[in-house]
Amino acid sequence: MTTNGGKENWVSGRRLKDLVQWQTVSGQPIVVHDVTLIPQSRALIVRLPRSLWVWNRPTAVRVEQHGQVKRLPISDLTRRSQLGLFAVGVAMGAIVGFVQFARSPRNP
Amino acid sequence: MIEEATNTYITRAPEREQQLASMLGRILSAAQPGAVYSEPVTKGAYTVITASEVSAGGGFGSGVGSTQPAPRQRETASDASQSPAQPVNSSGGGMGGGGGSSGRPVALIIIGTDGVRVRPVVDVTKVALAGVTVLGTVAMLLWRMRAPKKS
Repeated sequence: MTTNGGKENWVSGRRLKDLVQWQTVSGQPIVVHDVTLIPQSRALIVRLPRSLWVWNRPTAVRVEQHGQVKRLPISDLTRRSQLGLFAVGVAMGAIVGFVQFARSPRNP
Repeated sequence: MIEEATNTYITRAPEREQQLASMLGRILSAAQPGAVYSEPVTKGAYTVITASEVSAGGGFGSGVGSTQPAPRQRETASDASQSPAQPVNSSGGGMGGGGGSSGRPVALIIIGTDGVRVRPVVDVTKVALAGVTVLGTVAMLLWRMRAPKKS
């Protein structure tokens, strides 16, 4: 990390894609009995002048067994449920807002 | 004494910044799959690997500053003491940093006699909290819609 030259030089020296990165990475194979697992994860890395933030989540596991390869996706049910509920809340808000607008006396 | 300490701080600041920057570099290890997948745990015929969502962050900052007496202040000081103005410089520096990390299990990878299965892990508390929040918001909206307008 460059510290000479101040913040402006640091930012101008790097483009946005260097500041925010999405990386899909495969890890070291894990061998259990006769099964070989290759874990895959996706990481979001945000690099700011003197700070760093990393968010890494599992995406899938590649399974190799008896010469066959299959990919098992990993879904985050908790996150999906939260987003689903949030979407329901936003949709209900939009419906209520629309109904209120339609009922208002200014709108014949 | 103060000047000596400040000079020591200033001369060692780049070295300390390098140390902090290398510490930040270690946060990058959270971007590796090894941080997300646990070591396999075997019990009987089954082996379990936990897949977790991991986030980590950190930052640091430092600063050095010095002040010189204003010209007016210098004049006042020289008038009061009737002696040549003494340079009254003050300087200082500081450095600080912080960071944190969190993790949450997302799924279990179970390797057994019947093959490999991925079982999701649901955080019921988080989902329930989100549900209660949405229900409360919807109830408030409906109550507001039904309530007669004051005019």
